[in-house]
Amino acid sequence: MNGEKMKIKITVNGRKHTLYVSPDRTLLEILREELNLIGTKRGCDDSNCGVCTVLMDGMAVKSCTILIPKANGHAITTIEGLERENSLHPLQQAFIDHFAVQCGFCTPAMILTAKAILDENPNATEEDIREGLHGNLCRCTGYKKIVEAISAVRNGEYKDSCGEV
Amino acid sequence: MRFEHYFEPTTVGECCQILKEYGFDAKIIAGGTDLVPRLRNKTLKPKAVVAIWSIPMIDAIAVNEDGLELGTAAQLRKISLDPALAKDYKVIMEAAGNVSSMQVRNIATIGGNACNASPSADAIQGLMAMNAVAVIASTSGTREVAIEDFFTGPGKTVIKEGEMLLSFKIPAPKPGTASYYKKYAIRGDTETSLVGVACTLTLKSDGSIEEARISLGAVAPKPIRAIAAEKMLVGKKLTIELIKQAGEMAAENCTPISDQRATAEYRKEMVRVWTRHALEEAEKLAKSKLNEK
Repeated sequence: MNGEKMKIKITVNGRKHTLYVSPDRTLLEILREELNLIGTKRGCDDSNCGVCTVLMDGMAVKSCTILIPKANGHAITTIEGLERENSLHPLQQAFIDHFAVQCGFCTPAMILTAKAILDENPNATEEDIREGLHGNLCRCTGYKKIVEAISAVRNGEYKDSCGEV
Repeated sequence: MRFEHYFEPTTVGECCQILKEYGFDAKIIAGGTDLVPRLRNKTLKPKAVVAIWSIPMIDAIAVNEDGLELGTAAQLRKISLDPALAKDYKVIMEAAGNVSSMQVRNIATIGGNACNASPSADAIQGLMAMNAVAVIASTSGTREVAIEDFFTGPGKTVIKEGEMLLSFKIPAPKPGTASYYKKYAIRGDTETSLVGVACTLTLKSDGSIEEARISLGAVAPKPIRAIAAEKMLVGKKLTIELIKQAGEMAAENCTPISDQRATAEYRKEMVRVWTRHALEEAEKLAKSKLNEK
């Protein structure tokens, strides 16, 4: 590479991008600084707090510690990619309705992690949900409202208004 | 974060050639969950970063009659959820599943957990419990190293300049064998282990112990075996008294440090207790394996 830029092809929220970037940058930096998708947050920048969580090929990952070449050829979903044509995503609406948002900084990552949990196991129990959220810190809500919101979506309460997860 | 060269070899041969050229100035990246933060805070300043994710089958998980083979870049979460491992290699799944959070396990790899050589690494304990063998490659071929000889100190392994970890081979367990891993951390999986204990017991049909293996994490400069306790157990049937004695011997075996998470004394005490729990569980599992047949 010799310090040169490298060609990266990624699909973000269904849109294909071809970028020429230095391979020593992270997926988080590319999303925020090159694609202006600032819904994905930068917290500890050390893969502890989880606020940078995005979905890579449907799996929840911490984008702050993913070297951009690792994302080459993969499909990324960020919080900006969840909204539907006529409504919010069921998890987004549930978080609002259940007051699962306080300062909101952890919310995009919480919702994406929740999506990964429910995509993998649509019948996730409260324990499964709490276990799945282990890597996401929230210093406001105490997690109770967040778990309630996710449980409501699991119970199908948002199917009619917002559609499937 | 700055490095001069980035390589993405597509064969092991090509990768070893790059490693030979750069020596310790090159760092291998598999998942990057350990490496990227260290590049960022400049703990590590390699000239070259060599990504191994484009090498075919480097992340393979393969079970056959002789045993299990884990490619160095096998993701911890895939290992922890693979149904093919559930019968004979449950402890490998559990140890891998104990590492950090779902997001990290989706990216982090078994080889990375080993090469990073943290004394408290969880996934390694599954390998220790099942006598894994590390396969190491270089331009002059491959060599094999038993897992207990693989670590040489905190962050240090037997991997020499120009070498890379290729895979782990785990022999199929003998009949009547079961392993159990128990991690102790105050905030659950996401936190670094204060103490980790892995036990393997092979029982004869009369219930006496044919073989015992006890491995301890986070209580010495590297993962260690509690050899004295293991020797003491062989040939005997487990009793409450014996389990207690094994716990005490294991605690004597370790040399933990005091840090922000726990004091050395506390860690020793927890080894005593956790070894007891792990032995009890391993025996229970091994007995049910005997009854299976």
